[in-house]
Amino acid sequence: MIAFHNVSKTYRGVRALDDVSFTVRPGTVTGFLGPNGAGKSTALRILAGLTRPTSGAATVLGRPYAELERPGHDVGVMIDAGALHPGRSGREVLVLGAMLLGLPRSRADEVLHLVGLTGKEARRRVGTYSLGMRQRLGIGHALLGSPRALVLDEPANGLDPHGIHWMRGLLRDLAASGCAVLLSSHLLHEVEQVADHLVLIGRGRVLAQGTAAQLARGRGLEQTYLDLTADTERSHL
Amino acid sequence: MTATSSSVPPGAGPDAGPGAEPGSGAVGARGVPFARLLRVESRKLFDTRAGLVLTAVLVVLSPALVVARSVATGVTGFLTLAGTAGIALGILLPVLGVLTITGEWTHRTALTTFTLEPRRGRVLAAKCLSTLAAAVVAGALCLVIAAVATAVHGEQADWGVTPMALLGRLTTMLILTAQGLAMGLLLLNAPAAIVICLVSPMVWSLVANVSTVGETLAAWLDLGVTTGAPASGGMTGGEAARLATSVLAWIVVPLVVGAVRVIRADVR
Repeated sequence: MIAFHNVSKTYRGVRALDDVSFTVRPGTVTGFLGPNGAGKSTALRILAGLTRPTSGAATVLGRPYAELERPGHDVGVMIDAGALHPGRSGREVLVLGAMLLGLPRSRADEVLHLVGLTGKEARRRVGTYSLGMRQRLGIGHALLGSPRALVLDEPANGLDPHGIHWMRGLLRDLAASGCAVLLSSHLLHEVEQVADHLVLIGRGRVLAQGTAAQLARGRGLEQTYLDLTADTERSHL
Repeated sequence: MTATSSSVPPGAGPDAGPGAEPGSGAVGARGVPFARLLRVESRKLFDTRAGLVLTAVLVVLSPALVVARSVATGVTGFLTLAGTAGIALGILLPVLGVLTITGEWTHRTALTTFTLEPRRGRVLAAKCLSTLAAAVVAGALCLVIAAVATAVHGEQADWGVTPMALLGRLTTMLILTAQGLAMGLLLLNAPAAIVICLVSPMVWSLVANVSTVGETLAAWLDLGVTTGAPASGGMTGGEAARLATSVLAWIVVPLVVGAVRVIRADVR
């Protein structure tokens, strides 16, 4: 459903991504895990057609994003929860998205309910929102077109424990209904609780991938994570 | 925040399961229909606080200026009053043009906009067209206001105006708006683009006064000078050439350069 084929990206001589390959199957949640600056956001941006890979290709439903007939219906994308116009109301953000996708405005209200924003909150300007509310709005925006694939960059940032619990349930339900979910995070515990499959990335390279049990190798997942990403952490220098 | 509802959105049901793999998203025409893009971009002009404030200022300021001029100085000429109504427009429309474009980068909403419609050129076209349409509506509104203010004078009203002159005024307004769009797209930076649009008339009058070379330059490149001809209702071949040159320099070239860069570059 979502696939990275040998994707590399070089920014002015710096290799941000190096031969990244992995797939996300329908009905699964894949956690894309790595320290800050490992290349997670770059990879997701390439997947969403916002950044061009230097070589390789990322595809959704077998095609590069830009070639999808109806991208908003096929893939829901949230790259940055902060990327919202502060002068617009939360509901307006969703109404604009629904209009673009050719959906009735009532879809905006359905999605508000789905992500747990009240009507009163939805009428407020986004500039007054907490990061957690922006995350909910961003996730809602990604869900507008009822997509079969969902890509979320650091969706748990700013969510309180209650919100994280809610998000886990939402992602599991989506996967259970056949959706392919890819979410990035730099926090191991957040991801291992919801992901069926983990892809570990550091310094632009895929370090390991598999189920949590496979990656734990009997030493525990955290130790594996720390070992693999040791040379990418600042504390090591 | 209320419920912790975590039900699945309608449509993402079992039909979206593993069997529905490659390419089955391929139904209907490709991408977002252009009419829909136009509707959305038009709505985005006015659905933010900044957009609302701009509109409110325009709707309040233009009639206020016209009434003030009509009452205080006893001006009864329709064309003069229309020009007065247009003063606010001449400043606000370029600003609207700039903000329409740069807002997507200032607030990084380009990320979501270009995710829902990856064909970026079409989004930019819809932005420009909707802003120009708004300029036409605003221009028409000014004419109506001026007409009312003129009619109040009854017998003394001076309706002396040619359709060409009206068309010329409207064209000038469109050109100034387009300059705002072009500068916004070229620089993707609201303050810089707004300063260039609003300060350039002053700079040009300085340049024109310094030397004859400066005067010639201004005659060919200062939109304030070159749009004088259509605004007064008639145009010679030379005036048309000078207008075309200035439009090329301030609108066409920056629009094309800016658009190509936005379409090719990584979205930040």
